[in-house]
Amino acid sequence: MTEQQQYNDGKLHYAFYSGCCFQGTDARFFDILQQVFDKVDVELHLIPDAVCCGAGVIEERSELTSLSINARNMAGAEKMGLPFYTPCSTCFNVISNVQKQLGEDAKLFDQVNDILAEDGIEYKGDCKLTHTLWMLAQDVGLSKLSERITNPLNGIRVASYYGCHTRNPADIQQYESSQNPTSLEDILKVLGVEIVDYETRDDCCGYHINWPNNQLAQKMTGSVLQGAHKQNVDLMVTSCPLCFKNLDGVQPKALAAAGQDFQLPVLFLPELVGLACGMSSSDMKLDFHSVPVNVRL
Amino acid sequence: MLTYDVLIVGSGGAGLYAALKSRMEEDLQVAVLTKVYPTRSHTSAAQGGVNAALGNKDATDTWQDHWFDTVKGSDYLADQDAAELMCREAPEVIREMEHWGCPFDRTEDGKIAQRPFGGASKIRACYAADKIGHVMLHTLYEQGIRHGVNYFNEWMTLSLLHDGQRCLGVNALDIRSGKLHTIQAKAVILATGGYGRVYWNRTSNAYGNTGDGVALAYRAGLPLKDIEFVQFHPTGLRRTGILMSEGARGEGGYLLNALGERFMDRYAPEKMELGPRDLVSRAIETEVREGRGGPDGEVFLDVVHLGKERILERLPQIRELCCAFEGVDPLKEPIPIKPTAHYSMGGISTDINGLTPIEGVYAAGESGCVSVHGANRLGGNSLLDILVFGRRAGNHATEYARHTDIQPMHQNPLEPAETCIKALMDGDSEETIADIRRDLGNLMSKKAGIYRNAVDLTEGQAGLAELKARYKRLKIKDKSPIFNTELTTALELGNLLDLAEIVVEGALVRQESRGSHYREDFPQRNDEDWLVHTVALIGSDEHPVLHFEPVKITQFQPEARTY
Amino acid sequence: MTEKITPKREKLLANLRVQRYTPGKDRVPYFDNFKMDVETGMTVLEALRYIKDTQDGSLTFRAFCRSAICGSCTVVVNGNPVLACSTQLMPILKDFGKASVTITPLQRLPILRDLVVDIDPVIEKLAKMHPYLMENRDRIPETLEQESLMSQKEMAEFNYITDCILCSACFSACSTVKVDDNYAGPLTIAKAYRFSVDARDSFRGMRIQAAMDQGLWSCVQCRKCINVCPKDTRPADSIRHMRRIAIDDGIHDTPGSRRAKAYTDDVEKIGQVNKPMLPVVVHATKGWAAIEEAEAALAKHGLEPTRKVCTLPGQEGAAKIYAKVREIEKQNKEKA
Repeated sequence: MTEQQQYNDGKLHYAFYSGCCFQGTDARFFDILQQVFDKVDVELHLIPDAVCCGAGVIEERSELTSLSINARNMAGAEKMGLPFYTPCSTCFNVISNVQKQLGEDAKLFDQVNDILAEDGIEYKGDCKLTHTLWMLAQDVGLSKLSERITNPLNGIRVASYYGCHTRNPADIQQYESSQNPTSLEDILKVLGVEIVDYETRDDCCGYHINWPNNQLAQKMTGSVLQGAHKQNVDLMVTSCPLCFKNLDGVQPKALAAAGQDFQLPVLFLPELVGLACGMSSSDMKLDFHSVPVNVRL
Repeated sequence: MLTYDVLIVGSGGAGLYAALKSRMEEDLQVAVLTKVYPTRSHTSAAQGGVNAALGNKDATDTWQDHWFDTVKGSDYLADQDAAELMCREAPEVIREMEHWGCPFDRTEDGKIAQRPFGGASKIRACYAADKIGHVMLHTLYEQGIRHGVNYFNEWMTLSLLHDGQRCLGVNALDIRSGKLHTIQAKAVILATGGYGRVYWNRTSNAYGNTGDGVALAYRAGLPLKDIEFVQFHPTGLRRTGILMSEGARGEGGYLLNALGERFMDRYAPEKMELGPRDLVSRAIETEVREGRGGPDGEVFLDVVHLGKERILERLPQIRELCCAFEGVDPLKEPIPIKPTAHYSMGGISTDINGLTPIEGVYAAGESGCVSVHGANRLGGNSLLDILVFGRRAGNHATEYARHTDIQPMHQNPLEPAETCIKALMDGDSEETIADIRRDLGNLMSKKAGIYRNAVDLTEGQAGLAELKARYKRLKIKDKSPIFNTELTTALELGNLLDLAEIVVEGALVRQESRGSHYREDFPQRNDEDWLVHTVALIGSDEHPVLHFEPVKITQFQPEARTY
Repeated sequence: MTEKITPKREKLLANLRVQRYTPGKDRVPYFDNFKMDVETGMTVLEALRYIKDTQDGSLTFRAFCRSAICGSCTVVVNGNPVLACSTQLMPILKDFGKASVTITPLQRLPILRDLVVDIDPVIEKLAKMHPYLMENRDRIPETLEQESLMSQKEMAEFNYITDCILCSACFSACSTVKVDDNYAGPLTIAKAYRFSVDARDSFRGMRIQAAMDQGLWSCVQCRKCINVCPKDTRPADSIRHMRRIAIDDGIHDTPGSRRAKAYTDDVEKIGQVNKPMLPVVVHATKGWAAIEEAEAALAKHGLEPTRKVCTLPGQEGAAKIYAKVREIEKQNKEKA
């Protein structure tokens, strides 16, 4: 396990793996994330030469390639001596799966290391992998988080949404139960909001099926949104940036396809955390959302 | 009226193999009636292996060795011509299964892997981890899809119809709709499995192994053979009776009493844990009776010393079962076990083609009794039995159906089935199925279990009479025709009561000990008087009438059975 | 050497909410509730049987082997499809923190009665995948004198999938089954893969076609099926493998295979997926509408639309890995 010995500044430091989710309008999240985590004494250090994790899609061409490039990504964090943090649920899922596979198959582990050795890289397989949910709920801790809240979001009715890839399959993380996770709700409670249960909370938003099958993705996203809307919530908050892209970006199309005409603002978890910690809506660039965030936060 | 050339009742290994063979002859209409879906059948629970003298692990093995092992294992009650046939045809049926895609484990040189099994003199049990029955059943089902076998899923057969000479067909209940149907057929193959559920709470059998085919053949006047021989598998999980495969012992597990002794030393010093099942079951029962059992009357199966890797590779399913059903992890602690009623050697009396005395009526698999297993079945031979005799019955029935016409059906053929169901629906008491069933299980375990004697068996007879009377007054409260499982379980209970009576009668009459039938008051095997099959026919008062038929001895003269 | 085992037994008075429905009697499904003592070690199936035996004989559910091998007893407990016979009740009551459990039938399948659903739709989808070995005469001899030879390595390609007991838990949990009636469901694609990579088989192309016809690329990889499979067969993995062999066999023209190629090639060339261009890579000319829309959104916020994404610094290292893997895969092919 890596230690954060080299920094002695009372902050939590992470090797930051961004994945490829922050492209286009979402590129703003690079800065926003660092600002939000600043509020809770977390510093992100970009892994210098990471590449896209492949989202599991590369496995449809070559499993060995997927294993090797992700071992390389992890080796980057191992070299920095820091735990590996990614805000993207799919990256977490894919990379965690790679770590697990290589940990269970000694031959594969050796084969991957042979491949990496050509570039002088060694993969040890011992870095801690984490995601926004557990970085906030466990590493930073709920009490520290609560200390940093300057703008409690009391009274706001929120539908919490994990998405699938931090939960399935159950063996990719040891932080909490996959059937009955609570980290997102725990964080939201600290922010002051009222959490409303709704029947589509455990359903998939369909992000990964956008290309090739837009229609199905819209159906899935529309269904999730309708379930939340039924409960009269003000906002939906998701811990996954890809779910966010669908629930926000695809919302207009999805609801139109379903013959629905409501609007449900959707926030990406770090946005809400930042707002609760005193950042403004313009800091947060909320006007970049496809669905207007017309709630005072 | 639905009409088929060949109608197969039961969708386990025997039924599906028969169906495949028949269906491949494209000129015939073939259907399978099953009260579950085919892949649910109890064949799926067989874990350890299927025997065949392939010689892949031990090149000196021959079918003759296998034949001898089978006959000796049967305590010389097997009909030797039938056993010969089964062992001879074994390699072929195994290869046919393999050609159909059955995923047997492989040796280093790519052949079907084999492992040792209780009672076998050479290594010949072909296996697939610990799920051989499951993969075999699925292979047969898959090929059935390929060849277009017609399945009537969740149809429970209630009566066998014949005119005293030839087969007419069956009555069956479509469980989904509750409608009764008469189905005409030139040939019917009964392959409905065993009747271990007469020992309701102490059996490895599925809930539905209630001997339906055997009971309905009996009630139709067909002879049943050797019903008193029920094999107790030595290692069933303490709480549920769920089977711990013999494979665990084949891989090197130890049987320990509560004092930690490998007690098989006292009973089968050469073969130890791999002695034949009846011997091991009695050994365990003796240990418990003599006070060396655990707090719940159990002994222990210890595989801890095999190590994590071997257990996870060779016995993964067993480990899951222990954790899920007993709360015990075999990696860390010994498994508490008790002998469990496992296999019904007895069944519908047939010849080596599965043919009963009624033309066109066949039986195969566990519900048939040829007899290949005699008084005790060797591990790995049951899966073989269903393949070989399923195939034979299928072939013979096909030939027969080709050269026969449909016989005219009785007037009002549904009447017996309707009457039976009406009686259950209109019962007059507060008796419940659960109470009668539980009492049946307890009665049979106590009075006609591993150890038997005249006093207990006579009390068993009286107890059964009382249970039957209670059953007659049973009332089904669920009146819906749609998927009425209260009705189907009541019908199953009726079958169990009929068969339990024959078990007890046969056990009482047979004054010797042989194979799985052990009489404390007659502890020796008595070839002079008892080298015979017990044959039961339903009497005019609906009680079984027993007579005896000689055993076919062709090659092996009976010897003492030591291991 | 052995110790006397003295298990600790707890009892909890619990409320079992069970969905009921009898066609012809009930207009719609409704919830019945049964109070009973749940003991340590008691499974969901034991509880259902207890209720049927002592409280309501008309409670209807399927059960057979009660040892997790026949696949009959799948039901949904607190929203999760499980095998009733091997699911302990006490931990569920404790995990969810209330002395009540909700049991409903499998989803996406017509209800026959209470907890019994019609699984024929699953069987029909399965049958379309040719889920049986079609003998490859190069491997399987004509006569029964010999078994076909198969190496342990060849067996390992698909052996884990033969654990599948057709319980349909994955089907019930599947996100795509939920929204697409035409979708085959996880277990059927897994079976198609199992036979397609069985060295004794000759029908791979037909099965790939059958899988594509029933939505091979409609799986969203949510991985719920992996979570719910009681036999750990990991259907979502098999679906990815099936896609891989489809592409290997030359299926390059479907949106799904185009996406796979795009992701793979992009990471090699630029270290990340070129998301802006993805619509047109996947959907050819039809993709332009989406690109123009996205670019309009960017322009609205004063951002410069670009169809190129920057090359990540890790690209060179990634390219080396790709080259090396290609070498290895080439060697493996030559060896085989």
